[in-house]
Amino acid sequence: MKKYIFHIDANSAYLSWQAVYDLQHGSNIDLRNIASAIGGDKSKRKGIILAKSLKAKKAGVKTGQPLFEALRACPKLTIVSPNYQLYMACSDEMMSIIQTFSEKVERFSVDECFMELSCKDPLTIAYQLKNTIYKTLGFTVNIGISTNKLLAKMGSELEKPNKVHTLFEDEIMEKMWPLPVNELFMVGRATNKKLRKYGINTIGQLAKTDIEFLSLMMKSHGRLIWHYANGLDSSPVKKDSRKIKGIGNSTTTPFDVDDIRYASLFILSLTEMVALRLRANNMMCHVVHVSYHRASQGGGQGRQRKLITPTDNTNTIYKIAMELFKEIWDEGPIRHFGVRVTMLNTAEIYQKSIFDEKNLEKKRRLNKHIDLLRVKYGSQTIKRASFIESGIKNINGGIHEEYPMMTSLL
Amino acid sequence: MKILMKSVDMICVSNKDGKISPIKYKFVGKDEQIHIVKINKILERNEERLAGNRMYIYKVMSVINNSKRVYEMKYELATCKWYIYKM
Repeated sequence: MKKYIFHIDANSAYLSWQAVYDLQHGSNIDLRNIASAIGGDKSKRKGIILAKSLKAKKAGVKTGQPLFEALRACPKLTIVSPNYQLYMACSDEMMSIIQTFSEKVERFSVDECFMELSCKDPLTIAYQLKNTIYKTLGFTVNIGISTNKLLAKMGSELEKPNKVHTLFEDEIMEKMWPLPVNELFMVGRATNKKLRKYGINTIGQLAKTDIEFLSLMMKSHGRLIWHYANGLDSSPVKKDSRKIKGIGNSTTTPFDVDDIRYASLFILSLTEMVALRLRANNMMCHVVHVSYHRASQGGGQGRQRKLITPTDNTNTIYKIAMELFKEIWDEGPIRHFGVRVTMLNTAEIYQKSIFDEKNLEKKRRLNKHIDLLRVKYGSQTIKRASFIESGIKNINGGIHEEYPMMTSLL
Repeated sequence: MKILMKSVDMICVSNKDGKISPIKYKFVGKDEQIHIVKINKILERNEERLAGNRMYIYKVMSVINNSKRVYEMKYELATCKWYIYKM
């Protein structure tokens, strides 16, 4: 029997999960059949679109878009606030059904996973799995079947919703190569722009480009996407990979921010949450990333920096985040801020350096006690003086996601 | 049958094996009067896990306004709430 890899992806996960839950509670509207989206708080014009229905997609609503922009694109859009507890329950139930088909299942994010199975007829199994999930849990999934994780994932993205696709090596040319290059896993907005500049528009063109050229232009990332374009990937299905890869928080501001004082307060309030979560997981970070979205004409920027020694100190992360922010900000009005830390290590053992700040141990103890106070008596118990009368919360961002929404590592 | 999904106050029995059976319930009707309805018979029991949310569905029979009515009730495990589901 041959070994196959399946990629199972819930169709517009948050939205269909909410729709099924509403129907179960007697709602006569199926969110999946109208222009609807999950995200933020409509009354406060806050938050971003997390998931959207097909009708909303047709009207121009995009995932990750700020609410006010989505409402401009589609004024009749029905917006539902997210219910993370429900999504975790759906995700867990989906996983438990998939685990009845195979022992080797890797949860890739809240709504997708990989399954490895040796069998004779993978298509029949995939249809069985898809139908079991629909019958039991009430929502549809896409399944991609192949011999490695990359192709399985690309396969499940081919046509949605409620479909099973195969994408074997001999089908790459026909099914994957004609697709636009930005459809390839790990080709984001910035890479897409670069590739288009070099005249690479489809995955096929990327696959046929000289790897040396890509390596010269985009270093290791160039080599990685060349391998992906050729369907080459050897990463194993990791059972129970619940390891946190990054911790990040972001917030949409209730007003346009064009003043460095307010910008720094928002970044500080997000850093407070990120650092709190980092310490709660007993981890330290090597990389600090900061990003923003412009209020008008869309777009935004982000930048990250690798540190010499890992840290979990709020002040250090904030200092770096602010340095990065000052490097990228064009002083235009901002509507959305994000702070993220990655390359996480355990905080139990860490490398000391002669460049370390003074009194590091003392600062760590201070942070620990501030965290204890905030967890026990609430986030308002102890706050920095800079937030007084600023109208900005001293800690910003939720701690709902237990699993990464998106992962960049196969 | 029409979907009502109206929550009610219920008296039910949970037996030694953990099987839950509705006995009688109280609800406020359109006339703003309190009505008490006895479940005369449980015709069917099913379980659903839609959206990962477990609910027991009971097809029951009661005598309402001197006539026998067959309808469905739901019990949500996560919240311990009872509903008249379809009538």
